[in-house]
Amino acid sequence: MFRNTREGLALALPAAIFSTLLFLVPVAILLSEAFRGTSGGWSLQGYIDFFSTPLNRTVFLRTLKLGALVAGTAAVIGYAAAFCIVNLGPKSRGKVFGMVVLPLMISPVARTYAWIVILGRTGIVNEAITGLGLSDTPLRLLFTETAVFLGLLQLFLPLMIISLVSAMENIPRDVIPAARVLGASWIEVFFKVILPLTKEGLVIGGTLVFTGALTAYITPAILGGSKVLMLETLLYQRVNVSNDFVSASVIAMILIVMSFSANLLLKRIATARN
Amino acid sequence: MNTSMRHLANWSILGLTLTFLIGPFLIIILAGASNTEYLAFPPEGLTLKWYLKVFTVESFRASFLLSMALAVFGTLAALLLGVPAAYALNRYDLPMAETVRTIVAAPIIVPGIIVGLALLRYMVVPTGVTVTLALFMAHTALVLPYAVRVVSSSMTNLRADMEEAAVLLGCSRLQAFTKVVLPNIRGGVLAAFILGFVTSFNQVPVSLFLSGPGVRTLPIDMLAYMEITFDPSVAALSALLAFMSLAIVFTAERLLGFSRYV
Repeated sequence: MFRNTREGLALALPAAIFSTLLFLVPVAILLSEAFRGTSGGWSLQGYIDFFSTPLNRTVFLRTLKLGALVAGTAAVIGYAAAFCIVNLGPKSRGKVFGMVVLPLMISPVARTYAWIVILGRTGIVNEAITGLGLSDTPLRLLFTETAVFLGLLQLFLPLMIISLVSAMENIPRDVIPAARVLGASWIEVFFKVILPLTKEGLVIGGTLVFTGALTAYITPAILGGSKVLMLETLLYQRVNVSNDFVSASVIAMILIVMSFSANLLLKRIATARN
Repeated sequence: MNTSMRHLANWSILGLTLTFLIGPFLIIILAGASNTEYLAFPPEGLTLKWYLKVFTVESFRASFLLSMALAVFGTLAALLLGVPAAYALNRYDLPMAETVRTIVAAPIIVPGIIVGLALLRYMVVPTGVTVTLALFMAHTALVLPYAVRVVSSSMTNLRADMEEAAVLLGCSRLQAFTKVVLPNIRGGVLAAFILGFVTSFNQVPVSLFLSGPGVRTLPIDMLAYMEITFDPSVAALSALLAFMSLAIVFTAERLLGFSRYV
């Protein structure tokens, strides 16, 4: 450890100043915009107006709902997948884990576009439906909440699996067989042994997936369009279509508050563990 | 349940999960090779024409170059700021170390779309900075947290007394850094570069508002293109981008065990 503080600051401050000027200051000004009353001074009118519009309320609730649904579904699939991965031999475990992580490195536009191919009018699902004679005309599958849900789930499921795998690796090896020998059913094993021991991983994965879904732009833009708006796409519309910067500022505040609280939660878990 | 049954159950769950995660890419590769004029799956016949068309679309060429330049130079700039910061945070007892860490990490927490809008409104519009320069700075700030984090973690394993020994043996502080520290954290710096490159290249929300006439990053350009055209070329381009990311990650894994750092 070197003692010369001035030298240390000279090395660390450029990065901090850069981030402050480019991130904190502009974002802070943007957030303050909704609090600025029409006659100068401060007011909450921007927030009241925002939430008194039915469309905005719908979009707000839909975003929360989809975020929770995606996180919940990811948890169910994640537990099953993580349990299987942990039970693999060391060689195939690395390979399967790699295949789970890989999609995270690929452009989300590419990952989302695949769903257009699957759910589009001439996509694989509609070809199957009309081919089997279940319907004469192709169904509208794109621009529905289901499409957005599937897209978000595919995008963020890896984060849940990764968190749960590392949580499950820390369960002592003999605990589950011991519970089984002592007569616990698999359901009891899950709720009384696995769940309590992996709670932390579940919370971490859950927050990552939830905030990811909340702040995703591409998926609702491509798969939801203007029919299924979420907060991010609503913000884009408010700015580009109606030039409404007060609404944009309100939405920005909602997104930041949620993503900040999620991060605080994660930090507390991390420090509690140390 | 006997062992082989459990084996079967295990692999069917994994098979389904992996199909859900990876299957869409296989579909995209084939959809991009469809010989129809519109997006169709399964394709009626195969052709490479859409894969070739991608390279002839003028706007794709321009936006690909812009995205590449942003990813390379933005990440380099982030390393230029981030490596000294990571070094200082590890080696010095700084009074506001925690504050500096939080500030530098902030870009990860703030949703990108807000950053893009804020920069457009309060930097580009009032000061007349070009959109390209704003994009470059935004991408630099975006990659900075990863640079600091990855380089920091590769520095924690490096003992400070090696450097002190170098100084005692006659090196200047700068020489001690370039001859002792840098070679030892090279892997971390490279990993940070790759992670930063991929993050910047795939980034959409930050760049959403930061686009002007002729200035668009590749993902934004793809979004715009798919609104007006419905031919398989976006599928082909998506498949090519997926291959590019895979190639980068595989090479990095082979060369330096990339996953250790991430």
